[in-house]
Amino acid sequence: MKAKMKLTTYQQEMLDGKHGEAKQFCMDKLLDFGKAVEATEMVDLVLTLNCCPIYVKDRMEPERLKKLNEYDLGHSPLYDPIFAMKDAHVHDESGTECGNDPYMMQLDKAHEIKGPPNGKPWNFEIPGKGSFKLDKEMVAGFQAGYDKLMEHGWLPWLSCNPYLNTRIPKMGEYAASSESSAACYINTILGARTNREAAINTIYCAYTGCLPKYGSHLDENRAAKCIVELTDEVRDNIKGMADWGALGACIAEKAGNRIMAVLNLPKKMGPGATKNLISCASPGMNDPMLHLMGYTPESPTLEAAFKGNMPKNPERFVVTMEDVIEMYRHLNALSPAPGPEKAKPVDIVIFGCPHATWDEVREVARLVKGKKVKEGVKLWVQTDTPTYYMAQHYGDTKTIEDAGGHIFHQTCIAMSPIRHYPKNTVIATDSFKYVKLGGGFGPKWIYGNPEALVNAAVTGVFTPTARWEYWSKPRKERLESEKERPLYQGDRPMVD
Amino acid sequence: MEKKIVLTGIARSKGKAAGEALVNRQRIGWAFNHVGNEDGMVMAPGADTKGKIVTGKIFVYPTTAGSTSGAFSLYYKCKVSNHGPAGLICQEVHYIDINGAIAGEIPAVDKLDQDPITTIKDGDWVEIDAPEVGEKATVTITRKG
Repeated sequence: MKAKMKLTTYQQEMLDGKHGEAKQFCMDKLLDFGKAVEATEMVDLVLTLNCCPIYVKDRMEPERLKKLNEYDLGHSPLYDPIFAMKDAHVHDESGTECGNDPYMMQLDKAHEIKGPPNGKPWNFEIPGKGSFKLDKEMVAGFQAGYDKLMEHGWLPWLSCNPYLNTRIPKMGEYAASSESSAACYINTILGARTNREAAINTIYCAYTGCLPKYGSHLDENRAAKCIVELTDEVRDNIKGMADWGALGACIAEKAGNRIMAVLNLPKKMGPGATKNLISCASPGMNDPMLHLMGYTPESPTLEAAFKGNMPKNPERFVVTMEDVIEMYRHLNALSPAPGPEKAKPVDIVIFGCPHATWDEVREVARLVKGKKVKEGVKLWVQTDTPTYYMAQHYGDTKTIEDAGGHIFHQTCIAMSPIRHYPKNTVIATDSFKYVKLGGGFGPKWIYGNPEALVNAAVTGVFTPTARWEYWSKPRKERLESEKERPLYQGDRPMVD
Repeated sequence: MEKKIVLTGIARSKGKAAGEALVNRQRIGWAFNHVGNEDGMVMAPGADTKGKIVTGKIFVYPTTAGSTSGAFSLYYKCKVSNHGPAGLICQEVHYIDINGAIAGEIPAVDKLDQDPITTIKDGDWVEIDAPEVGEKATVTITRKG
């Protein structure tokens, strides 16, 4: 490549080995990548978000390799050379906070994989279908990898949401997030800059605190290229976490893998709603950024969202309620669950991908309060560590557990070998990301709103709500039915 | 009759490779949940190549989709589990896949003078010669008549 990377004195010293073997090794790798993406300088990072490795001795030993092929996402061997270096350390001179996504289990419950099935994601049984238990050696390897990172100065969070409470990048700062939903949130809501960072780079970013400047770091790759407008009907009737996820998916789909300016958004977007809308990024878009007009720091006006390059007639797309309904249908058809349309049996109901915000946890608690989860069915809520303890402190955990559900931190079921869950396990969720990315894993997926999901956990079958019944009718029929039962009374939607 | 087509493009990851083409018209990523690390099997719902094995193939697709873990999952398939593709040809090799291809030591090429998705057919024999990142790369397609 013609362009040569311009380095600061400190970056050059890292490359020359003056700050140790590990930093030199990582700088070398970053420069290789910088060449491929034609970068001319590095950015200084405040945050890297990565994935904790499984650290084992002799990973090529045939029996162990067989297990690793199932459990390792592919990242762990990349840490081996760094772990072998005596001077590997993060954060020291760079001040870059480094941490990791959730992984296969809650580490403080690791002893539970030794016991009988306890209904939790690392050790459970589905009546009539079989059982699943994490492999002890792999869990020990995960713990060893985590311990090693702690020695190196990584922060202990295992969550996809550190931007909410642990390291909140500010406008203009740079981050390297290989967690796509976090990347999209950091760019869109916080106005800091990150790619959906290629997840090999993030390892090297951690140890150097820098990364070639490319992609979403650059103004031109943050500009809106088209407009997506929501109808008033969408604006006024999006409710429920799955609605927000489906809406995000529709927006991403309409824009066809381009950054868009979104007009006519609902007036209030709570933390869960925002997170779910934004998490459309990974399955839906490659450039992790939306301009939510009226909300986001880089989107005060359309002119600003287009970064001064707004064409006279920008391409304009409209999202209708029919689109949102169609997205539900699409998601439910990817790996369809068997059974009658209005009563599909479920095995697992899961909330919290990306990790549930407190308002989401509270909603599950409110819906399940005083009820009992059906025997054999799992109700799981995954969240980050601060929310986990908040829910414990304020009683939400007790409500969920009294009903027979479970709440976890540090975990993501998709980061365990879900491919080896009992055959034909049916999982119901409000996570667009799970259904879209997990569609190939083997389980059957149902996509629905929390109300229908909790009801499914209690009855054992997923039944669409009255609200779905209403909106899924053809428009003409829907409007006919409104004559008998008006949708609006005053300005409040009557269909719940 | 054998038919030969020679295309030129830009190398995003360097190397030489040859293999049978596997063409996937949809965007697809290399994450373990899209293409199994343990067997190289395509699992992504709705993909043309769903159920097929990528191992040793020249994989042709528009660009990536989905998880950033595609980077290390591609590396893992190429270098550790030995179920990786031999080379990548895209309309645009996304950063995530560039990262994985460099670490996996397989060539990745884009910006060809014809659209690879329509020009290359399943089963074509494809040779990639990509000597230097950012420089010209050659793709030779041989089709049995």
